[in-house]
Amino acid sequence: MLVRDVMHYPVITIEAGATLREANDLMWEQGVRHLPVLEAGRLVGILTDRDLRLATSELSPMPYKPESRVEEVMTTPVLTADPLDPVEEAARVMRDRKVGCLPVVEGRELVGIITGIDLLDALVAMTGARLPSGRIEVRLPDQPGQLARLTQFFAERGVNIHSLLTYPDVNCCVRNVLRVDTLETRRLADELRREGFEVLWPPEKPWSK
Amino acid sequence: MVEVIYGEQYLSYDLGPHHPFSPLRLQMLVELLRELDPGFSPSPPVQASREEILRVHAERYVRRVEAASRGERPADLAEYGLGTSDTPVFAKMDDAARWLAGGSLTAARALTSGRARRVLQLGGGLHHAQFDRASGFCVYNDLALAIRHFLDEGLRVLYVDVDVHHGDGVQWLFYDEPRVLTLSLHESGRYLFPGSGGVYEIGQGSGTGYSWNWPLEPFTGDAVYLQGFQTLLEKALEWFRPDVILVQPGADAHFQDPLADLLLTTRAYRRVFELLLAGAAEYTGGRIVFTLGGGYSFDATVRVWTILYHLLSEKPLPAGLPAGWRERWQARLGSELSAGLCDAASPPPVERQAEIERYDLGGVERLLQTVAKYLSG
Repeated sequence: MLVRDVMHYPVITIEAGATLREANDLMWEQGVRHLPVLEAGRLVGILTDRDLRLATSELSPMPYKPESRVEEVMTTPVLTADPLDPVEEAARVMRDRKVGCLPVVEGRELVGIITGIDLLDALVAMTGARLPSGRIEVRLPDQPGQLARLTQFFAERGVNIHSLLTYPDVNCCVRNVLRVDTLETRRLADELRREGFEVLWPPEKPWSK
Repeated sequence: MVEVIYGEQYLSYDLGPHHPFSPLRLQMLVELLRELDPGFSPSPPVQASREEILRVHAERYVRRVEAASRGERPADLAEYGLGTSDTPVFAKMDDAARWLAGGSLTAARALTSGRARRVLQLGGGLHHAQFDRASGFCVYNDLALAIRHFLDEGLRVLYVDVDVHHGDGVQWLFYDEPRVLTLSLHESGRYLFPGSGGVYEIGQGSGTGYSWNWPLEPFTGDAVYLQGFQTLLEKALEWFRPDVILVQPGADAHFQDPLADLLLTTRAYRRVFELLLAGAAEYTGGRIVFTLGGGYSFDATVRVWTILYHLLSEKPLPAGLPAGWRERWQARLGSELSAGLCDAASPPPVERQAEIERYDLGGVERLLQTVAKYLSG
């Protein structure tokens, strides 16, 4: 998944010479929290709703006036992403630098923006139930061929895997959360156990007939 | 008294010999009801027409079902949820699904015509079927068809989905409809099919606040379930004031169910049905329709629905099940059946009881807080 797959465009922007009042109005009208700042078509900074609120707050020692210019308050230089960056790389930068968005630039051209919300969308897409499906969780040894053995099991039974999330677990194992297109996850879990897989979900029910 | 709708044609909805949604469940149930109640005399269903099905399903989807029923295999069947391991295609599938759908429509009509106030449709409850997709054993959404009919007649509908799986098909079909309140109680989509049904799925547009979901932790038992159910049902009735209640009483929340993980006993089911009947008596002039639904332990499912039949027809619950029926079906199924109607045993106590209770009851609170501003004003 690349930045270009989850970014938003066109981008709502503001000119460096615009006033804070204009920036504020634009954020309210468009329902956005981040305004990339342009000067002669080039990206020169970023203004967030938080920048705006802190700058104009009465609590600030020297509050800016509504007529102050955006370039006085904006953050510059601005961290950006390339459309070909992997989403996880963008997420890492945003986390490390604690910023809420990255304007996406291709050469010198602003082509999109990626925000924390877009990253949540990506997380939901990777982990959630986009289609009606059941959930199976299997712990595999972290060794070549283990995942192939697992997916082969589903392939042989004509069960479609909608999504598969794998992540490291204790004792050199990998946890695999599968969403499969069936209600009968318990039957599959029983068969998986018979074939020697460690199934974490669904568990066995001792009292079931 | 209760009007019962049933036809032998329902048994033709058969997804194959090893499929859990087996018509044998229905055959067992009807034979049992006939033996327990000599007065058992169901009315025949009227099969739903193609036009009626199109009230709730996309034409392109219906065309695929029809083609598959004729033995054709369009290349894009899987995109419509057909020909999967859950919902395989079978000969005359369209015909069989229209019988079940027609039965629920017949039940709704029995009510709106004034012929009956309490109706039990001994079939259907195919709550996963979506606008353009078969899902989870369900081809045509008979419940949605019944709801559509009630709306046509100007009635506001409270839909209560007791099945252990989220009633997603019905929810999405009426997601923006403020004249239908859907209340689904189910094992959390974090663990169980179909994955949806979180508390914050509350509807959209003018239907915002009219989709209620109570997702439950695996291994939730009678006490917590009943506490939450009673609260939610009371609020739904008081705030929404429906004209009619439609119930999908899936028996798969029972602890014997092989597909899911809730631990209800027949005692909880009995209480749930009693609360629904009391709610109908107080708010809808007694107007209530039940279909059937999921339930994959033959033993538990047949007993749960037999309890339902007796409560609806105001007959005392028989203590034991007829020996002849039991022996016949034990031989046929090759497995032991309970001797009594109600559970003799309970599931053993589970660990994490306090955590389960906190999670579940937290869900009730979150749900009511979220929807309150749309309804209680």
